[in-house]
Amino acid sequence: MTVCAPASVDELQTLVRVSERIHAIGKGSKTALHRRVNGAVLADLSALSGIIEYQPSEYTVTVRAGTPVRDLSAALRERGQYLPCDPLLPDSATLGGTVAGNLSGSRRYRYGGVRDFILGAEVVDGMGRAFRVGGKVVKNSAGFDLSKFLVGSLGAYAIMTELTFKVFPDVPRFRSLAVDYTSLEDALAAIYFINQNIFELDALDLIPLAGRWRLLTRLAGFDETLPRRVERFSAAMTHHTSLLHLAELDESATLWDPLADLTGAYLVKVALSPKQVPAFDHAITAAQRRYGVGANVAWVADEDLSQLVDALKACSLTGLCLRGAVQSAIIGAPLENVLAARVKQVLDPLGKLV
Amino acid sequence: MNQAFLKSLRNIYPAERLLTRDVELLPYESDALTAFSAVPGAVVLPVNEAEIIDTVRLCHKLAVPFVARGSGTSLSGGSLPIPDGLTIGLNRLNRIKRIDPEQRIAVVEPGVINLAITEAAQPYGLYYAPDPSSQSICTIGGNIAFNSGGAHCLKYGMTSNHVLGMRVVLADGAVTQFGSESIEGVGIGPDLIGLFVGSEGLFGIALEITVRLMPQPELYRTVLAAYDDLGRAGDAVSMVVASGLLPGAMEIMDLLAIKAAEASVQAGYPDAEALLIIELEGEAPQVEAEFDQLRGIIDQSGAFETRVANDEEERTRIWKGRKGAFSAVGRLSPDYVVQDGVVPRSRLGEALVEISALKAKYQLDVANVFHAGDGNLHPLILYDGREAGALEKAEALAGEILALCIRLGGSITGEHGIGMEKRDYLPAMFSEEEIEIMQMLRLAIDPNEIANRGKMFPGGEAPALAQHGMHPLERAGVISRE
Repeated sequence: MTVCAPASVDELQTLVRVSERIHAIGKGSKTALHRRVNGAVLADLSALSGIIEYQPSEYTVTVRAGTPVRDLSAALRERGQYLPCDPLLPDSATLGGTVAGNLSGSRRYRYGGVRDFILGAEVVDGMGRAFRVGGKVVKNSAGFDLSKFLVGSLGAYAIMTELTFKVFPDVPRFRSLAVDYTSLEDALAAIYFINQNIFELDALDLIPLAGRWRLLTRLAGFDETLPRRVERFSAAMTHHTSLLHLAELDESATLWDPLADLTGAYLVKVALSPKQVPAFDHAITAAQRRYGVGANVAWVADEDLSQLVDALKACSLTGLCLRGAVQSAIIGAPLENVLAARVKQVLDPLGKLV
Repeated sequence: MNQAFLKSLRNIYPAERLLTRDVELLPYESDALTAFSAVPGAVVLPVNEAEIIDTVRLCHKLAVPFVARGSGTSLSGGSLPIPDGLTIGLNRLNRIKRIDPEQRIAVVEPGVINLAITEAAQPYGLYYAPDPSSQSICTIGGNIAFNSGGAHCLKYGMTSNHVLGMRVVLADGAVTQFGSESIEGVGIGPDLIGLFVGSEGLFGIALEITVRLMPQPELYRTVLAAYDDLGRAGDAVSMVVASGLLPGAMEIMDLLAIKAAEASVQAGYPDAEALLIIELEGEAPQVEAEFDQLRGIIDQSGAFETRVANDEEERTRIWKGRKGAFSAVGRLSPDYVVQDGVVPRSRLGEALVEISALKAKYQLDVANVFHAGDGNLHPLILYDGREAGALEKAEALAGEILALCIRLGGSITGEHGIGMEKRDYLPAMFSEEEIEIMQMLRLAIDPNEIANRGKMFPGGEAPALAQHGMHPLERAGVISRE
């Protein structure tokens, strides 16, 4: 395994041109994505790091792809802003890896995911061409939007070197509430109630606990309005859903980390709709799991992948393996490959990027 | 038109849905950018997916260019027919197949009217967020092709941000499906929705679309502030942004636009050099608190008059003038062209000063209406098409505004797309290599370059600019060029 750490876009272009197969890596926080391909050069992008341009008044920020999420978050926090797609691994991932994997945390619930906050990018494709896709302003509809295509692309079409995001002002305060239900059905019914109601939650996760299902909810806003909003929300949940128990929880570092309790050897992200949850969950009852973003994403950890793969196939779902020894990070039902293949043919006709 | 092609079309369509006579084709010769017109060779009106797929495959086989068209409200000439090509009118695929309020999604056909989704979702307390000013008539298929925006994009994004899944027929006849009913959309693998939405009809036709719905906000607070100086209104926007508030909409109109709105819909606007509309939305307690903060900012911003909408009727009245401003300009001038450039928000003031200088240089009036929250300008350049060379002069001024937007670090289009109108400006924004890559991508999907041929990319045959005045629906105030 050859590892190279290009110090500039030029060097990365040369590296792509001279390599037969090449695989980009940021900080390597998602081990399953960096499967070792025979003969592939590992392009370590950690030297392509740093904030290039941050204009709080424009709600935009441009960073090099190897920039740690942590560094960007700190810079945004200083100016009272945040990246609302809420990168999943805030302490260990880079922004390039966050985009390549399409990985958002729980706060993605409020305003949207990575695709909703990426505005543009600079990339080096499989031919070693460096070019720009998308734009640098919050609104732009010129040309094909390849910047969104990069989201979830796993570096297989082009290697990102620079990324521009839309950012938002952050809210000053949070209050978190646990609303517990005896069954998954009751908990999902509560999500449906919330979905058709006026409450603007900052996050909404669904967690199986011993003998109960917990809706973990969070409200964000001004200090002076939160007590009233918490009261209204609690009352509505009490009156309109068949809950077991409702309690306010202390905000802690791990409360809103969807992966905090998922310790199994394999860790997988699944995108699914709330109505797919019962059948899927029924097939993976032995696994550690948490449903994020109003039960639109499943985070599953297990010591063995076979049960999960069977469950995914049975439910026609696809998973992305983030941790564990796998041949391919994509598991379960195969992905669409008609349109994606056309893009591959243009950006990486020699199949260098793996 | 190719007789073999027409014969094959007759195998797909009954006579009443295959239009070939001049009198039937004329209504399709322009979209909302009436400066361009071209008569298609034929128009077909499919009623189901199978007919669309068969038609595209036939076009591919015989290399006949086609343009898919909804209501024809494109402001960039995006649905302009291809001379002697086929126009595929999708308005009859107008079924809302399913509303699932529990999961907040709707599954629709491409010919469904934008506002119809909101109307169908309303009983469940939900709505479809993207709100182009033509929303009462434009279709979701067209919104997808051009990634349509509206006044409320800052917070929740444009069309692309509201599509979760789609089934499409690519230009070479391949049918494929991506996305899901999850809020994550594609979720795993490259975001094909993001690539397809906004591709201006060059990749193919959307056959079925799953969109996300949003809960109707509990409370809106809409404020109208009047300024005696356009720059002050712009500064007020910067102050709001700096305060950490995130309004749902921030809109500015200048003197000429205000006059037009008054003349047209009697919105009762104050007599001012500039008007700023700001709208907050969300949970009532939070919005009330934010509104207190906003009032403080507006008071400090030098507004000489402030009005607050206290109910839905007053809110509608404030928006009525704004949404109708474009058609209203038709009362002041026989013709106008509208631009759609974007500048970084902090450079709005600079852009307006330069536009003002350009007005003087070209001796043409320009009315300004813009989405200040996202720096999206909509200058309306007024001219009289009966004067020789007037349209060309207006187009030249428009070109200078586009160049200005790029120079200030923005974009030549925020929401109207490149289409026919701005294709010669694409190279001002992208390098030769970047355009070449986009062209290769197009060829990989459409080797015969039949899907919406002649749009987006520079060069090629273009019908001459012609003078047609306002779109009839625009004159009637049904649609507007926003």
